[in-house]
Amino acid sequence: MNPEPFLQLDRVIHEKGRLAIMSMLAATPELSFTEMRDTLNMTDGNLTTHIRTLQEAGYVSITKSFQNNRPLTTCSVTATGKKAFTNYINLLEQIIQQTRPK
Amino acid sequence: MRMESNWAAEHLQVIRTLMERSALYRRALAPVMIFNGCMGAIAAIIGWAAEIDSPSGFITYWAVIGLLAIGGSFFLVRRQALSASEPFWSPPTRRVTQAMLPPLIAGAIISVFVLVRLASFQRAAPQNPMFPAAVAMLWIPEAWIVLYGCAFHAAGFFMPRGMKLFGWAFILGGCALFAAGIPPARVSRLAFSHSVMGLFFGVFHLAYGIYLFYTEKRRDET
Repeated sequence: MNPEPFLQLDRVIHEKGRLAIMSMLAATPELSFTEMRDTLNMTDGNLTTHIRTLQEAGYVSITKSFQNNRPLTTCSVTATGKKAFTNYINLLEQIIQQTRPK
Repeated sequence: MRMESNWAAEHLQVIRTLMERSALYRRALAPVMIFNGCMGAIAAIIGWAAEIDSPSGFITYWAVIGLLAIGGSFFLVRRQALSASEPFWSPPTRRVTQAMLPPLIAGAIISVFVLVRLASFQRAAPQNPMFPAAVAMLWIPEAWIVLYGCAFHAAGFFMPRGMKLFGWAFILGGCALFAAGIPPARVSRLAFSHSVMGLFFGVFHLAYGIYLFYTEKRRDET
């Protein structure tokens, strides 16, 4: 078996929590902080930490605005993040292909 | 080796599930709600003015209005999808439709049964000639309202949060009408039935549509 795909897996995305965030953001133009927190059942602190890591890697962008006089934080995936996520999925598929019995 | 394959497959499954869950239905709903509100309000006025007062006429009339409203809504959604160069029958659209179907189909089946059995209701209670009209024009609209609310509540799991509240308004409103019972004799059946339909399917939709018009516009601007 070629270990190459496994070694190439993006460590930023590979963490369980961040993978969940990236999966959700990849399917929709943007999501609010509360929507993600409620769906993923994460604490505010945990979600903030993961989003910050993804933001530092350039995978996620954050927009702060107001809705009905209340602050609204929305996240969306960047072009770099989309590319990295697609690459991550392709590598997972390669791993499955390699180990599939012929 | 097998374990790594399982692990990768599980990861892909988790990704797929989360992507499906987050793909909310995000078409602008204001035009659809305003269209349905106008349809409901105008239909109620026409129904009242044209004195559609027979039980079978009432059910048939509102069933046709319902079909026109569904057709018009799909047309509006399709137009939005085409202008955004996106597929019309997308997974979120499919899920919303699937969620709404059971209560709507139940409403249609109940209406057909009542329509078919109107004559037998009369035979079963000859001493009470108002019974078929009470069923068709008082209880059927209330059942439609409750089931319509259930449809929106179910669809709300795949739509922005306000949609569930909209569904609850119909469910509770319909139940309140059931609880209130048959209106007093001074209120004409014609006026009551068409007003109830106009209020729920007309005014409620219009009010929510206008609210969405401003909130969706604001969301697009931010």
